[in-house]
Amino acid sequence: MFSWKKLGKVFDPNLIMDSSWLKEFAQAPATLIFEDHVRVYFSCRPLPDLNGQYISYSAYVDLDRSNLFKIKKVATQPILNLGGLGEFDEFGTYPVSVTRDDLNQVRAYYAGWTRCESVPFNVAIGCAVSTDEGKTFEKMGSGPILSYSIDEPFVMSGPKIRRFNNAWQLFYIAGKKWKIVDGRPEPVYKIRMATSLDGINWKKLNKDLIESRIEEDEAQASPDVIFENGKYHMFFCYRYSSDYRGKKNGYRIGYASSVDLINWVRDDSKAGIDISDVGWDSEMISYPHVFALNGKKYMLYLGNQVGKHGFGLAQLEGELG
Amino acid sequence: MKWRKIRKIFDPTEHSLPNGCVEYAQSPQALVFEDFIRIYFSTRQVDAGGKYLSHIAFVDFSKDLNEIIQTSGDEVLPLGSLGSFDEHGIFPINVVRNNDLIYGYTCGWNRRVSVSVDTAIGFVVSQDDGMTFQRFAGEGPVLAASLYEPCLVGDGFVKIIKGMFHMWYIFGAGWKKFSADSSPDRIYKIGHAISQDGINWVKEEARQIISDRLGADESQALPSVLEIDGIFHMMFCYRESYNFRKANGRGYRLGHAWSSDLINWQRDDEGLALEGNTGSWDADMQCYPNIFECDGHVYLLYNGNEFGRHGFGVAILER
Repeated sequence: MFSWKKLGKVFDPNLIMDSSWLKEFAQAPATLIFEDHVRVYFSCRPLPDLNGQYISYSAYVDLDRSNLFKIKKVATQPILNLGGLGEFDEFGTYPVSVTRDDLNQVRAYYAGWTRCESVPFNVAIGCAVSTDEGKTFEKMGSGPILSYSIDEPFVMSGPKIRRFNNAWQLFYIAGKKWKIVDGRPEPVYKIRMATSLDGINWKKLNKDLIESRIEEDEAQASPDVIFENGKYHMFFCYRYSSDYRGKKNGYRIGYASSVDLINWVRDDSKAGIDISDVGWDSEMISYPHVFALNGKKYMLYLGNQVGKHGFGLAQLEGELG
Repeated sequence: MKWRKIRKIFDPTEHSLPNGCVEYAQSPQALVFEDFIRIYFSTRQVDAGGKYLSHIAFVDFSKDLNEIIQTSGDEVLPLGSLGSFDEHGIFPINVVRNNDLIYGYTCGWNRRVSVSVDTAIGFVVSQDDGMTFQRFAGEGPVLAASLYEPCLVGDGFVKIIKGMFHMWYIFGAGWKKFSADSSPDRIYKIGHAISQDGINWVKEEARQIISDRLGADESQALPSVLEIDGIFHMMFCYRESYNFRKANGRGYRLGHAWSSDLINWQRDDEGLALEGNTGSWDADMQCYPNIFECDGHVYLLYNGNEFGRHGFGVAILER
């Protein structure tokens, strides 16, 4: 048995005053550990345009390694440019997940957003490399590295890159269908994975990893995997397909474990974290990211309005077993 | 190659077509049966917003292409579901026999906001001799945008050669605004992919296999390949990438290339001499070629003016 002790909100994007591109939201935190700081990548947005539509960028904040509530630095520019005309990532680069490659360069996997006519958007997964220790990234190509296929027709998003067993593993979500809810299309998506020997050429597993629990059209996101005590542990988030922007049907954090990365046993009762009675995470919690630091395990996660007001930190009590 | 033009053989306005389609019979693609030739094409429905939706239909001809036997009365293949790559049109479809099945490779169209459209290649199967096709295993495409092919993967043409599936297709080289007040235009080139099963494909990613005749901004489309006397011949169409819709010499015309190894292609379209006579149905534009063999003859189907709005015609190879 384990549980997560909430330590409080770490970063609030609304407190960054001088940045037009980093105005609202700090979504989908993902860490890269440095000697004296923990870099937390996240995705943010300028104010919406006249039609109420957002674009999204990715950025980072550096936290003091000995005190994760002490902010040392905030990115002064987006880590990635938006794509060019007609490209898959023209309207957003969100979210992003990073790891180091064999040359010790920081490599980012990110979801790129385009806008469509009949549905609001489509998403595919891109790849970029940094030569300045993760401050900025250059795209490997102008197209996606993981795109649509027969069994994954649209909305490929939420990449989480990991390296286990001398291979690259990419956990992500793929759209199943667009469901009309109150007259507007809402995507239903499930957690999937692909493997690769070089991080560039991917083989999809073509399987939903996590069975749906609350309803058939449950949406699942943020499949964050950590290996500990002989098992793979996945923390993810899930929500109902309708009326999910409030407390009742909004995101919660779930848990599953696996010994082989392919067969997963879901047991949300073990997740060890839920919404708070009051405060910034009292309506929903989502986009978990678990990392190890100084012999301890931490989780970064989003609260109400899916990170509009930033992300918080919790610390593991007990063992991931 | 020396082609002799025969005539226009199909006018969509003279026939009743499925899905309420009236005009356009684009990208004819032949499938030869024992006693007739089925020619698939894409025709257009106008949707509630006044935009076009392309649908697949077919017409059956006698084997000398002189007589129309029937046209498809019912829907051959429904468009894709909400948000899918082929929601807003299927144009074209290429068909290949594989044992008792007919494989179809579709180019699916999906409307975008900053540019007009994106495309990808889908896979469908017919178990009723090509009367209808069904999606295989899922709603998504078998060939789509990738790292170095950022958009507009389409126009797949498949042949099974020595047990291997070969696909020639087009990939977008990008969108470009050629002047400040014009809509974005696309540029695309012909590429090649192979597959063991016709479903899982490996691209020669972003290798343009046909050289440009009009420079880097040439768009190349609709490759069609046939082996003739031990040499592989490809017919395709090409045009300038902007201001190409008017009768001004910038629109589609037919191109040709040949290869003896399926790797290196020699472009050779200066001597095709297929130009139409002024005022004729194919005088302003020639596009969307399909070459096939039937009863010892090699035929070329193609569209004429206005991208095939008024139908398609045929030419025959003179040996």
